[in-house]
Amino acid sequence: MASSYLLPHSQPNVHPTTASQPRQHHWSPYTENGGCILGIAGKDYVIIAGDTRSSEGYSINTRTARKVYDIGSGLILGVVGMSADGEELVRKVARKIDDYKRNHDKHITVAAAAVMLSRILYQKRFFPYYCQPLLGGLDEEGVGAIYSYDYVGSFEREQSRAYGAAASLITPFLDNQINFKNQFVPGSNGEEPRPKVDLSKEQVEKIVKDAFTSAVERHIEVGDGLQLVTIVKGVRAEGEEEDEDEREKTAGGGVISEVMSDLKKD
Amino acid sequence: MHRTGLSLGIHQLEHTQPSSRLNHHHHHHSTTTASTNYLHTLSSSHLSQHHQDLQIESITMNQFPHGWGRPRDDVYGAYDNSYLNESQPITHTQRPIVTGTSVLGVKFKDGVIIAADNIASYGSLARYDNVERLLQVGTHTVVGAGGDISDMQYLHLLLDNLLIKEQYPADDHQLYAPQVHTYISRVLYQRRNKFDPLWNSILTAGADPKTSEPFLSYVDLKGTTYSAPALATGYGAHLAIPILRRHVADEEAVSNLTQEDAQKLVEECMKVLWYRDARSGVKYSWAIITKDGVTTGSKEIENQSWKFAEMIKGYGAQNI
Amino acid sequence: MDALVSKYGGSDLDDLNILEEDEDEVTSSLPQSVSFILPPIDSPAKFLRAMTDDHTNPSAPIKLKHGTTTLAFKYQGGVIVCTDSRATQGSWIASQTVKKVIEINPYLLGTMAGGAADCQYWLTYLGMECRLHQLRHKRLISVAAASKILANLVYSYKGMGLSMGTMLTGVGHGGVFGLYYVDSDGNRVEGNLFCVGSGQTFAYGVLDRGYKWDLTDEEALELGRRSILAATHRDAYSGGYLNLYHIQKDGWVHHGFDDTNPVFWKQKLEKGEFQNVSTSLD
Repeated sequence: MASSYLLPHSQPNVHPTTASQPRQHHWSPYTENGGCILGIAGKDYVIIAGDTRSSEGYSINTRTARKVYDIGSGLILGVVGMSADGEELVRKVARKIDDYKRNHDKHITVAAAAVMLSRILYQKRFFPYYCQPLLGGLDEEGVGAIYSYDYVGSFEREQSRAYGAAASLITPFLDNQINFKNQFVPGSNGEEPRPKVDLSKEQVEKIVKDAFTSAVERHIEVGDGLQLVTIVKGVRAEGEEEDEDEREKTAGGGVISEVMSDLKKD
Repeated sequence: MHRTGLSLGIHQLEHTQPSSRLNHHHHHHSTTTASTNYLHTLSSSHLSQHHQDLQIESITMNQFPHGWGRPRDDVYGAYDNSYLNESQPITHTQRPIVTGTSVLGVKFKDGVIIAADNIASYGSLARYDNVERLLQVGTHTVVGAGGDISDMQYLHLLLDNLLIKEQYPADDHQLYAPQVHTYISRVLYQRRNKFDPLWNSILTAGADPKTSEPFLSYVDLKGTTYSAPALATGYGAHLAIPILRRHVADEEAVSNLTQEDAQKLVEECMKVLWYRDARSGVKYSWAIITKDGVTTGSKEIENQSWKFAEMIKGYGAQNI
Repeated sequence: MDALVSKYGGSDLDDLNILEEDEDEVTSSLPQSVSFILPPIDSPAKFLRAMTDDHTNPSAPIKLKHGTTTLAFKYQGGVIVCTDSRATQGSWIASQTVKKVIEINPYLLGTMAGGAADCQYWLTYLGMECRLHQLRHKRLISVAAASKILANLVYSYKGMGLSMGTMLTGVGHGGVFGLYYVDSDGNRVEGNLFCVGSGQTFAYGVLDRGYKWDLTDEEALELGRRSILAATHRDAYSGGYLNLYHIQKDGWVHHGFDDTNPVFWKQKLEKGEFQNVSTSLD
């Protein structure tokens, strides 16, 4: 009990006033910064979008906070929840992906990165990161992949997933529009489900924008701006420079681009 | 009988298990066979320890369908709500003792202006009236702190040492505002991870010496960071931010704001805070950072008018 | 002198080196399970519970995913494993497509109830241990031994707040079928038949009614499916898809991941069951 510092590698930090006596620790290390992220995987693309509002209680801290990050090797990570924990997680994952590249002389696959992220989250099983991450990338066949996680690292590859303040508003909409849940072939008397089709990136981008503009109307913690990050195989956004080597090497061959747009600011 | 035996066991577990077990492994990190050795040593040593501690094999997980897999109250004790509660001063890890109130920061087209008053309060007592809460760090950075003054002073010590360390290589490399902000935010986040926070809200302001690009960022005791054209800590976030945002809503507005207008804006906000924030002071320090460096000064709030106070009724014991 | 300097020099400035801290395990090839970060307080378990027990306190900030109805039983033709696929965080259905049967290797399956992450993590870890056992001893690990590794492992974390109830089942060396219930309290029980999770009672009801050793493969698969269907019908925390496996002498075979809704209506309309559900509004 003398040493209550259990972080690996850390020496007991002798604090002049508090070293020997037991301290009361009823202080919450957590806070909630609102916002919402949304990821959709397509046949040959991935989208992760997030709003750019960051708040605490009823105060809007900033209207320009990004929630989706390029973490290297053609992969993207969206985080929502407590932004300090989220950013820490992003730093850690990005660093490990970089280490992987240096150690193995190749880019990590999205599947391997997914397991890596799960392990990083589980390492804090007893003091969880207060954030929910979405990992996006193209798999080795070039097919879009979204991996969703809970706070301590259980994960699943999915077609679509919304996390954050307005997840409960957006998820049913995605179930219906992306996975065609409860849609039926007209005239089949609700017995023949509408067959699944691969939606194009343009169609999905519209759905993403609709999801966010609607969520903004009904949730106070969502708004200000929309950050839309996409990974597309081999195609480069306008004005970006071609880097043939880099593209050849990433496991899914994807190219990341970002578009910012406005959402309501009230 | 059953219960008392159990709760004693669990009590001991909480204190002995983590430190002995989890740290212990870590030291075996470098041995290549650790994964299996670990399993054996861990299991055998802990099984025996458990039998001493627990005596009875206990079931700590709720097996009834409704609460399946959740902790059992009769083993863990009642759910302790107080860990979630942030408004109990006595149970805090630490609490701020001598405190400073708001810090304001506004970007303008050539730089940033930052301001903080000179009061240090002891509860509701205005204990010290000449405290400097702005610290120049290097040539193009100023750090302003609200919250606990002693934690702020410790942070100043860290920053001084950081700058000294940075001088050793004599390589002409310098720390500017983004680096200083990142450093402070790492310190604060690590301290929150240790449940031993530095009880501050901090603004870091600076300008790039080559491009004159303004920099302004916030970090608080939980490591939360953000940037915006105008920032304020403490009461300033509620009283000054609405005024500031009216003038600098976005980066485009920043590029149209002159230094003179920014100064006037800060003066206005400091006055509003002086009127309404009971922990604020009439004298404040300001600093302007442009590509040419830091200019600092001190100011007293001018042209006060308490006329509005006459209109206010309904507070306290008034006979009117 | 150096000792004196290191003893007294800069001890109050530990935070100066803060950026070098935490740069751990990067180059380590060891499984990360060997070290967990704990909140540096007197009672980590109480802290964890306050933050995560959304059953006692629905507004607990961190809602972990929880799994629900799972079953496994032995019969003359091997072992049947069936689960639902719903994960809930409080009353929010976090996912309807969870794979609650974890394929440890071609011979071993583990089921997921309780904390989803705990089950995923430790059963994967168990997979590593089983592989190492196989390499060391040149034969498959027995289900008994595998389940004991898992039970000892989670027992060493007892009281820390892990939550898992898993059935470890499969076929070991010599073609011996094994079925063990292992949970995060360290219980390890061998048996012919288990149901685990919040929907366990509903599944038991159907399973006990139809269970006998001499079931044919067809009957056994149907019984597993029907038992989980009953649980998804009566337990709000269960639902989604029916995930069905059969373990035979040479390993497991997957028998589908089927939406419960059409299965339910087929059962009702074609077999005349679930008469409690009316098809009209009057």
